[in-house]
Amino acid sequence: MRRYTLIAMNPILDALLSGSQPVLIDGAMGTELVRRGVRWRKHGLLTDADKVQQLHEEYLAAGAVLIRTNTFQLNPRIYLNVFRNRQHMRHIGAPGLEDLTPKLLRTSVRVARQARANSAKEKQAVIAGVLAPLEHCFRPDLAPGFEAARGEQLELARVLAEEKVDLLLGESMNTIAEARAVAEVAGAVGLPIWISFVIGPEGELLSREPLEQAIRAVEKLGAQAVLVNCAPPAEIGRALAKVKAATKLPFGGFAHIGRFSPPSWKFEFFPQFSETESWPPERYAAEARRWHDDGARILGGCCGTTPAHIAALAQALKTSAKGAKSA
Amino acid sequence: MSYSAIASKLGAGEMVILDGAIGTEILRRNVTWADHQLATRPEFVRGIHEDYIRAGADVISTNSFQLCRRALYNHFRDDKHRHQIGAADLDERANQLLAASVHLAVQARQSAAGGRPVAVAAAITTLEWCFRPDLAPSPKQAKGEYREIFQVVKDAGADLVLLETLNSISEARAALEVAKSLALPCWTSFVCDDRGRLFTGETMADMVAALEPLGVDAILLNCAPPGDINAGLKELLAHARVTTGAYPHIGRFDPPEWMFTDEYPPARFLQVATSWKQMGARILGGCCGTTPDHIAALGDLRS
Repeated sequence: MRRYTLIAMNPILDALLSGSQPVLIDGAMGTELVRRGVRWRKHGLLTDADKVQQLHEEYLAAGAVLIRTNTFQLNPRIYLNVFRNRQHMRHIGAPGLEDLTPKLLRTSVRVARQARANSAKEKQAVIAGVLAPLEHCFRPDLAPGFEAARGEQLELARVLAEEKVDLLLGESMNTIAEARAVAEVAGAVGLPIWISFVIGPEGELLSREPLEQAIRAVEKLGAQAVLVNCAPPAEIGRALAKVKAATKLPFGGFAHIGRFSPPSWKFEFFPQFSETESWPPERYAAEARRWHDDGARILGGCCGTTPAHIAALAQALKTSAKGAKSA
Repeated sequence: MSYSAIASKLGAGEMVILDGAIGTEILRRNVTWADHQLATRPEFVRGIHEDYIRAGADVISTNSFQLCRRALYNHFRDDKHRHQIGAADLDERANQLLAASVHLAVQARQSAAGGRPVAVAAAITTLEWCFRPDLAPSPKQAKGEYREIFQVVKDAGADLVLLETLNSISEARAALEVAKSLALPCWTSFVCDDRGRLFTGETMADMVAALEPLGVDAILLNCAPPGDINAGLKELLAHARVTTGAYPHIGRFDPPEWMFTDEYPPARFLQVATSWKQMGARILGGCCGTTPDHIAALGDLRS
């Protein structure tokens, strides 16, 4: 069964994709909130929503024209997985855990929209609702199959759509099956979809499935752009060359910087990167500008990056655009 | 080794007071527990151990819940991926932090015990998530990992290992065999459900029959609400010949943190513990949600 829903026209988004200018997206949410001292519980959305909104505002002020909801890996499984089963969660878990995810998703979109409303870019920026792998983004072996993923991702997508995100972004997709599921649910809720794949050490999807095959699969399901993310800059650069050869869609990437430093007990992804100072904003911007010069149009930052990185990238892309015109 | 003092107390039928929660106590003091705070705020962790010693604990447990190589490695696809994007110290981090967790407890004893015999128990849980027996590795695999962990805590000065929140007989047996092969005193503590069974559905009778012949030093129940612990303790006491004990959690698990409730203030906590003492349990303390005040209240159990 596939439902073909009319994908809503979004003039700002269409203009971004159809133009020839670079599309600057934001940098990291999770790692930057943690770096700023936000205790990582419920994505900061219950206790530190003001800081989440503030960070969105800083990314917009830095020049981002697309901001991503702070919903990476925010789904009911991350709570259910730490209990024996649902009954156990009801028995010893805090009240309301079962219904918490939609509530947090709604808050995440609201703070992003409020940030945009407060921004000088109110009329030009779009909000992408982030759908991430349901299980740990670095564990493709745990990923659900297509059917299960579609059912669960649809629940998340519905909430994001109700709260009026402009598009959905399947981020750090680590298997083709889950990427297809995400692309399909976007169609079902009538939203444009971009898909971004997490790149493994082999330069393919983290699942080792070929990037080219993954791109073809999501193109068929109507993806409007293809990206690669959450690998170090050098790997993102190499993957972008593959993406360029594989698609005519607008494409791009956002690398992480530093080293993933997971906590010593937690179960799901925890946004903490160390040694990020080895990639100061100017160095990252120079690298990402090269990706742009090689044809990538959509650029931003993944884990470890900050508003300063996005501001530096905005600057670098300006000079890049001038360079391209004068050439 | 300070375990002999504890062993003689138990041998004489006396009560032994275990400490309360470390992880949730760190959270209650408004600090994140994401990385155990062993490297970042050692004085803070040591201070909580000292508070438990001053509250009267005979045995303090290290701040090492779920701290092992596997827990860190689980965040990556495989070795290749970890080496590509992971922090440089990850291959050594678990053992370094484990050793640090024991050192902090030993230091707290030096500064706060005032000559009273206090034993340091290395708190080690299941290799995978404590509430998920479905994820447990094979016993053969588990043994290798436990051997590494126990050697680290033994070398660092732990007096015994407290295997806590265990969820299956097979993993408990694997770990216990390794502890005994290293000549470490070993208490095994299980989470149980409201029927008084392990999370695998296995019975207390089968668990006791499997562990007693291997020389387990005590069998306890932990990390369930008092009502469930009560159900489990009835079953356990009906079958166990070794010393038994319990340390329930109070409040609610609010992942990744804890929700503190006023359902079991220290006085009521003591009432529950007193009923377990009367049933025959000899080692009593607190799991998640309990505080030094709860442990101080348990002092009345000695009378």
